[in-house]
Order: sequence, then C-alpha cells, then structure tokens
Amino acid sequence: MLGTVRKIGASSIDFAERIGQSTLFFIRSVLQLPDFRHVFSLLAQQIYNVGVLSLVIILLSGLFIGMVVALQGYHTLVQFAAEQQLGQLIALSVVRELGPVVTALLFAGRAGSSLTAELGLMRATEQISAMQMMAVDPISRVVSPRLWAGIISLPILTILFNLIAIYGGFLVGVKWLGVDGGSFWTNMQGSVNFQVDILNGIIKSAVFAVVITWIAVYQGYYSPPNSAGISMSTTKTVVYSSLMILGLDFVLTALMMGGW
Amino acid sequence: MRSKVVEWVVGLFVIAGLASLVVLAFKVSGFSHYSSSDYYPVVAEFDNIGGLKPRAKVSVSGVVIGRVESIILDPRSYQAKATLLLNKRYRIPLDSEASIFTEGILGSNYISIAPGYDANNLSPGSVIEKTHSAMILENLIGQLVYSFKSDKSDETKTDAVKQ
Amino acid sequence: MAPASTEESIVEIKDLSYRRSSKIIFDSISLSVPKGKITAIMGPSGTGKTTLLQLIGGMLRPDRGQITVTGIDVHQLSRRKLFHMRRRMGMLFQHGALFTDISVFENIAFPLREHTNLPEDMIHDLVLMKLEAVGLRGTENMSPSQLSGGMARRVALARAIALDPDLMMYDEPFTGQDPIAKAVLLKLIKDLWHSLGLTAIIVSHDVHETAEIADYICVLSGGKVIGFGRPEAIMNDDNPAIHQFIHGDVDGVIPFRFPAVGNYVEDLDLC
Repeated sequence: MLGTVRKIGASSIDFAERIGQSTLFFIRSVLQLPDFRHVFSLLAQQIYNVGVLSLVIILLSGLFIGMVVALQGYHTLVQFAAEQQLGQLIALSVVRELGPVVTALLFAGRAGSSLTAELGLMRATEQISAMQMMAVDPISRVVSPRLWAGIISLPILTILFNLIAIYGGFLVGVKWLGVDGGSFWTNMQGSVNFQVDILNGIIKSAVFAVVITWIAVYQGYYSPPNSAGISMSTTKTVVYSSLMILGLDFVLTALMMGGW
Repeated sequence: MRSKVVEWVVGLFVIAGLASLVVLAFKVSGFSHYSSSDYYPVVAEFDNIGGLKPRAKVSVSGVVIGRVESIILDPRSYQAKATLLLNKRYRIPLDSEASIFTEGILGSNYISIAPGYDANNLSPGSVIEKTHSAMILENLIGQLVYSFKSDKSDETKTDAVKQ
Repeated sequence: MAPASTEESIVEIKDLSYRRSSKIIFDSISLSVPKGKITAIMGPSGTGKTTLLQLIGGMLRPDRGQITVTGIDVHQLSRRKLFHMRRRMGMLFQHGALFTDISVFENIAFPLREHTNLPEDMIHDLVLMKLEAVGLRGTENMSPSQLSGGMARRVALARAIALDPDLMMYDEPFTGQDPIAKAVLLKLIKDLWHSLGLTAIIVSHDVHETAEIADYICVLSGGKVIGFGRPEAIMNDDNPAIHQFIHGDVDGVIPFRFPAVGNYVEDLDLC
C-alpha cells in the first residue's frame, strides 16, 4: 500500500520535472532563433520537410472527407427535404471541426513522428553532441527551425484541407447527387461567418500546431539514444499529440461557442 | 546553403495557404466588406426584435438590399434600436415600414421593408418611423387562448339568455 | 594514485567525482594531460571513458572536483565562454557523428562557417586541405550515408580539425575497424600530433594500437585511476588489475563469472 503511494508520488514528481524541462526547452527553442545568416534557409528547409511534404496526405484526406460528409449529409437531409442545406452542413462541419482536428491528427502522425524520429536519430548518432562540441547551439540550429516550421505549416495545411474538403463536398453534392449549385453556395455563404467559424478554426489549428510540434521536438531531442528509445519516443509523440488535440478541441470549442 | 528550389516551393506553399484563406473568406463565408462607401445607415426602433441578430438581412419585396449592423437598447425609451446598412443603389421612401419576419417556420429573423409613398427618401442617419415588431410565439398563444375563452363566455351568455 | 607529470599540462583534473543515477562513475580521481603529447585513457568497458571526455568538454557537470583546461575551470564558465573554449577543442566521436542531411563538404565547412567570416573561396580551399590531410580529397560532394565507417570517421576527423584546435579528443577511434582502417587512423593521429603540435587524448581499449603511439597511458577501473605512466611501464606493471587488462586475461580482478546467487546444482534442480 505504502509502496503504491510512494510510486505515485515519485511518478508525479517525475512528471512535473518533465513538464518543467519541456517548458524551458520550448521557451528556449522559440526564442533562440538561428542567426540571420542562416535563419531563412534553415526555416525554409524545415517548412518544406514538414509542410510541403505533408501536402499529399492532407489534400487527399481532405478530398475524401469532404466527399463522405456530403454523401452522409445528403442521405440524412433528404429525409427532411432539406438537402438545400447541404452546403452549409459541409462547410460548417469542415471549417469548425473536421478541418482543424483531422489535419492536426494527420500532421501529428506524419510530420510529428518524423520530427521526433529525426531528432532522436541525431541524438543517438551523437550529432547533437558533436554540434555542442563544435560550439554551435543545437537548440537554435536544429530545434528552433523545426518548431517554427511546424507552427507555420499546420494552419496553412488546415486552410488547404478546408478548401479541398468543401470542393470534394461540392463534387459529390452538386455534381453527383444533384443538389442545386446555386443554393449550395448561397446557403453556405449565408451561414458561415468568417470570424466565428473560419477564423476560430484557424486559431484552433494554430494552438494544435504549437502543441504538436512542441511535443514532437521535445520527445525527439530528449529521446534515449538507442533504437528502442527512438521508437518509444515516436510512439509517444503520436499518442500524446492526438490526445492533446482532442482534449484541446473540446476546451477551445467550449470557449469559442460560449464566449466569443 | 539550401537549394533555391526548396525555398521557391516553400514560398509557393505559403502563398497557396494565404490565397486559400482569401478564397475561403469570400466563397465560403460570403464575407463581404461592408465598406461605408457602398452603404448608408438608417435606424429603426422596435418594441421587440425577437431573434433578430446583427448581420441579419434587410430586404424589400424579398430582394436583399442590406444588413443589420448593430442592435442596442435605447436607454430612455427602452426600445430596441437597430442600425441598418442599406445599399446606396436603392432609394427607400421616408414613410416605409420595417417589419421583422421569420424565414420559413424555424428560420432566423430578418427585416423586410415595405416601401411607402413619400416623395422624399431615407438619407444616411434617418429613422424609419413605422415599425412592426417580431411575432412572439407566447403572445400568439395567449391571444389564441383568450379568443377561445371569450367564445366560451359568449356561448354561456347566449345559453343563459336562452334560459 | 596521483600521476606525476613534470611537463606543462593542458588539462588538469582534480578530485573529480561523478555518478550517474546510483552508479559511481568516478571516485575522486586526479589526472594531468601533458601538453603536446598523446595521452591514452584505457580501461575495461563501462568505466566511463567517454564520460570523462564529456566532462572535459563541459557537456556534463561533475558532482565534485574541478577540471581545468589551459588553466581555466571549465564548469565555471558562462555558456558563451564555454562555447569559445570549445573552439579550441576538437572531438572525434566514436561513429563520426557526421550530419547526415548535408554533404561531406558542408560537414567540414560547418565549423568554418559558424565561427569565422571567411569568404567562400577560402572556405572551399580549407575544406579541401583538410580532406587532403585525411586522404579523402574527392569525396566532397558525397553524402555521409555513402561513406564506409572508416571513411566517415576520417571525414569527421577533418571536421574536428577544421578550426585547428589545441586539444583533440578521440573517443574510441579504433573500435570496430578493420586492420587497415586502424592503421590509417593511427597514422593520421600521429601525423596530426607531429605536424600541428596537437595535444591528444585517446580513449580506447585497443591496447596495442594505442600503446604504439601514446606518450602516456592512464588506466581507469572501478572509478579510479589505477595506473599512469609511459607505455613500457604500464605494460609491465605488476598491479593485477592493470595486468589483466593489458594482457587480456579472461579471469582476474574482473571475474569471468557474474556473481550469481546460489549454488549451480541447486539452480539446475529448480529449473
């Protein structure tokens, strides 16, 4: 009995210590940008790795999700002779929830795990130690560009996802199922509010971006320097990020629907 | 020293994102810049605005000619004061009536302006005198119940007279 | 066993103690690394030889004790001053630790670009000179993944000497290398020492290769310095621990058998 209490206590202290370490790490990475000679090329390279290379999975998923929402939505709405509302249904579902959340989950799986694995591997092959011994701060050289790249890329990916999902919904709803094109767009425009719906969705994705990239670079940088350690860190990144996304989504939605 | 191609692609990526945001703004949300140059404000006071919200549409004969900009409570008259933005293209006579209607049965509220016959038109800042408040469901039910009751009491009165 | 060294030393370690979790790695050791000489640090696996290099380089902090490099206490320095000091040190990591996402040329140019403002053509020349010194001119545009282990280490060496450091630290340079690669590295270490007057610390457990070029050997075991002196002295030392290590005896101070609890026969019966 006492042993369990002691274990709980020890792991709580350990947990608090890790949160503290990762917070300090995050602050340092955000503030310590590489010097201006290198910052743009480093940042561009990372945005390419993290954002551009994720485009395929994000765009394809967006297309399919838009199409599925249109299909499901149509079959439900048509029972109430309300299929003219399809545009509105698709746009609001995508822009408010599906866009930010699904893009973030996909991003955590693809880009987050890749960041963790990359940093973990650099740690395991002593590249980080080598950099320190060469008097180059690995945080500003290696971590900071990746962190900023993630924060910049995810909102952009979310916007692109939203657009292609709505287009996918248009293809299925209007082109295939025969919903009137005019009312599809007009009803949508009438009910989607830029500030409340679109902007809030982007704010959500910015919050997700910070959280996912933070978890990913932290797990990678402090990963145990061996293959088992890297694989465990990568798994942790995906699991923790996904949980944080879903939890924060609820909190943010509650705040936005209530307060704003 | 990174490849120039990478930087170029990243630039495209960011531009595509911003462009998509603009497309989303205009095509999907009907975000229209209500620049003051195209619209002029008028004011209408109502006893009860029901569910009327800012950005609700203002129409004449079913054609949308503007939006509700803001709604406040007049501190002296305790009336709901709505500021409407009307498109400069349309001239509305001074004695027009503004009523709050509901779209369909369960829809949202909007303002419909029935044009009057005055030679002069509404100008920026003028007030629409004649207004018709929103139909409140509870009042309707109350009226209905009252009219039933009075039918009943008429019946009892005639019964009484018969006897 | 305090080592006596009458020459000027570049690294002085005094009463260093370090532990990792509950294991004591170093128990109040003292050591001097003489300037301009090649000092080998040897010992059985797990005695913390790599840890010692990390402590000297300031990447780890000791629990007690002091390490000075050219008279300056490494762990009292601010982060900026520590970075300055590290420019005077070069370190060759066990597997090279080249940056895998950039070319060989970029790897060697990295410290030059970071710490100097030299124009591109000078950097180009310097990189090629360092590559030539390790015998790998022509590999500039290859990526590290295309190099063999031995070649990767040589490129890493070229990178480590890019800024012409005063002190070179080699972390197990011969481990896992074929005889040719070992001989190549030996030659390079010796040539560098000879031509640049570099002080070198070699951490290794390759006794014979290292003894060939070392001026001094320091033997670590069980968290203490158990021997320090010239190679001939160490090779013929009577200390049983040193003897076992140098001659590769299977059983001795470090036993063959893991201290299992219980009787062997009993263990079999219980299976």
